[in-house]
Amino acid sequence: MSKKRVLIIGGGSGGAILANLLNPDEYDVTVIDKSRYHTFQPGQLFVAFQGSRKEFQKPIRCLLRDEVKFVNKAVSEVNLDDRYVVTSDGARIEYDYVIIATGVHLDYDAIKGNREILNEYGDYFSSIADAKKLWNTLRKLRKGTFFIGVADPLYKCPPAPHKAAFLSTNLFRRMGVHDKVKVILGMPFPHAYPSKTVSDIIEPKLEERGIEVKTYFTVDSIDTKEKKIYSLEGDEVKYDVATVVPVNTGPKIKVTPEKVLDDTGFFKVDKFKLNIEGYDDAFAIGDCSNVPTSKSGVTAHLHAEVVADRLHGLDSVADGRTHCPIVSNGEGTFVISDYNHPPLPIRMSKFKRLQEDIFIATYWVAVKYPKLMQPIFRSYFEATRPGILSKVGW
Amino acid sequence: MSGNVIKVDARNMACPGPITKVVRAYRKANNGDIIEVLATDPGFKPDIEAWVKRTGCELVELSEEGGVIKAVIKVVK
Ligand SMILES: Cc1cc2nc3c(=O)[nH]c(=O)nc-3n(C[C@H](O)[C@H](O)[C@H](O)COP(=O)(O)OP(=O)(O)OC[C@H]3O[C@@H](n4cnc5c(N)ncnc54)[C@H](O)[C@@H]3O)c2cc1C
Repeated sequence: MSKKRVLIIGGGSGGAILANLLNPDEYDVTVIDKSRYHTFQPGQLFVAFQGSRKEFQKPIRCLLRDEVKFVNKAVSEVNLDDRYVVTSDGARIEYDYVIIATGVHLDYDAIKGNREILNEYGDYFSSIADAKKLWNTLRKLRKGTFFIGVADPLYKCPPAPHKAAFLSTNLFRRMGVHDKVKVILGMPFPHAYPSKTVSDIIEPKLEERGIEVKTYFTVDSIDTKEKKIYSLEGDEVKYDVATVVPVNTGPKIKVTPEKVLDDTGFFKVDKFKLNIEGYDDAFAIGDCSNVPTSKSGVTAHLHAEVVADRLHGLDSVADGRTHCPIVSNGEGTFVISDYNHPPLPIRMSKFKRLQEDIFIATYWVAVKYPKLMQPIFRSYFEATRPGILSKVGW
Repeated sequence: MSGNVIKVDARNMACPGPITKVVRAYRKANNGDIIEVLATDPGFKPDIEAWVKRTGCELVELSEEGGVIKAVIKVVK
């Protein structure tokens, strides 16, 4: 029997882990990515606000097992009915199974001024190069206002702007300008964080750090001449340096049939089995799927495990587990939830920060050798199940 | 002048799902449009009242029946 061809589009967190989990005796696995490099995206925060020079990028080829093929091309079209994809050079690749793991598309042109501020100051959200640029911008800031905001309520890694706010105040302290630089965090929600429970935990910490939170503040346009940010809700802020998470959408790929995409371009999947609605040979995992949970690397990783199990004949299902870290100065907490439990109140502690630092240090091993790390992750996720923590607390 | 009616179904969505949907509808709406939201998250009631106050929109109706909250908002931009 010839091996089935599995095509994975995207060699980010979800795609690379899935490729390395699949049994090479059973499947002929190809990863196709428009980029040669895989970025550990949380690292962008440490580059932008701490000037970190750690290795947060590695060639995708080096992260994949030898048996996995890697094609460095952009996919421009996916046809689920006739089972093929087309790359931007016009080549056509056929498959038996396709897994779409393209993450989100960052649309810097959706609101006025967003691309200009990216080009002028850099940012912590899009790439390591832009994070370096933001680091260089902030190091020169001696006084004024640093504004951190979002252009839409839905974006990957909900705590990223809060982490940015905390880490920036640390930087301004180190620079000795914390009493001259004001940090303002604009959020579209009624409180500092999407979930009220989590807001109650971090709001006192934000206040302690002198971070001003503007609620019901969705960035609608940026006037780069006047240096003013206008919110959809009718508010405005004058800034000296600003960074705004752009509108996040599904991938810029022509998909047939179009009806498998929701109105933001995300793939409609069965939230448990992760197959694209109406197809049993096509899956979408991680950020590009429309599962009703926060978009995070942990979710992409857990999705990869579910799809690998299913392709190996096991009946695993996704439970909607999230585990988004929030770090401040020396402390950390996690936003933990699943399909049946909204985020739990988990207090910030130094120990949780240490756990997060361990995850960061082991990231590359977890991507390349997911089986090696599986026992550790499994017991960790079991021990921190929302159903358990909601009773005993953490 | 009567505007378009934009229906937003945020039933069975936990916070911040409903407010996210309202923000997105508001971005696309024109002055005078009506946004009609259905939600089941109990936190939605105070949240939408505060949101309306902030944006200067008009809350035409806010009711609850059988666990479903209905908010009718007239867009003022
Ligand atoms: C600042 C920041 C901090 C974060 N912090 C955390 C954190 O602490 N914890 C956490 O769990 N998550 C965090 N995240 C989120 C996390 O990085 C993402 O959720 C995760 O990477 C999603 O994995 P993915 O596989 O779905 O997509 P990605 O990892 O984004 O990978 C997508 C891949 O697809 C490729 N691709 C896209 N389009 C095409 C195409 N048309 N053709 C070919 N290839 C294509 C891209 O080049 C990319 O390599 C953070 C994100 C940011 C930006």
